[in-house]
Amino acid sequence: MSSAQSELKEKIKAILVEELMLSEEPAEIGDEMALFGEGLGLDSVDALQLVVALEKHFGLKVEDAEKAKQILQNVNSIAAAIGAGGSA
Amino acid sequence: MLDLDVTDRRAWEAALAAVIDDSGRIDVLVNAAGHHEDALLANMSDTGWQEVLDSNLTGTFFGCRCVAKPMMAQRAGRIVNIASLSALSAPVGQTNYAAAKAGVVALSRTLAREVARAGVTVNTVCPGYIDTDALAGMDEDARKAAMRTVPMRRFGRPDEVAAAVVFLACPDAAYITGSVLKIDGGIH
Repeated sequence: MSSAQSELKEKIKAILVEELMLSEEPAEIGDEMALFGEGLGLDSVDALQLVVALEKHFGLKVEDAEKAKQILQNVNSIAAAIGAGGSA
Repeated sequence: MLDLDVTDRRAWEAALAAVIDDSGRIDVLVNAAGHHEDALLANMSDTGWQEVLDSNLTGTFFGCRCVAKPMMAQRAGRIVNIASLSALSAPVGQTNYAAAKAGVVALSRTLAREVARAGVTVNTVCPGYIDTDALAGMDEDARKAAMRTVPMRRFGRPDEVAAAVVFLACPDAAYITGSVLKIDGGIH
């Protein structure tokens, strides 16, 4: 993994903690940890806040619910989406 | 100063764009527009129902939706929605207005939960009898009858409502959200 990739993931984790007011530390969030349900346990309110935050920080537009489901699975999937089209 | 028809979604978008263009952010939204058109339900026209729902409830929805994401992105914002004591008091002749204002209360309490962790607060103010144009149509007998229901024996002043709105919009009110504040001289 390149250092740019790992920096991006660290930034995503920091944004998760800060924007969603999580009690976890960024380092406690694994790259493959599920964000919703089992795992980090986020809910639909978090999902909306996360979509708004990803657009603000990376210019990543999540247009619809199907795309959101795909992108917001875990830190890796968010990083991939930013790498594919965002302006990180 | 911008003119805005609150029932027009596009007018909201244009107004928000103008505010963002001017100051780069949107800090406070107060949804105060509305009107009433009283009739007993059995005699109420379709337009009498629809127009009151549009101006009071749908207008509030459009406004809130317009600012929700920008405020979430800022992680700060204050929304104060003006409902009415009619939302809580079941006033005869106001099924349309009472339903619309009760809808504003429910919308506000629910939205408050949806945007809370973004640092955005949403509160509702329910004025009772306030000396405004809305009461201008009352005849003297109706005014006296209304006054008798107010423990303070007077109608409120617009600035007494404005003071509460200003408080809910200020930093000191940061932990107040989803609240419903009556301003009615003690009626209920």
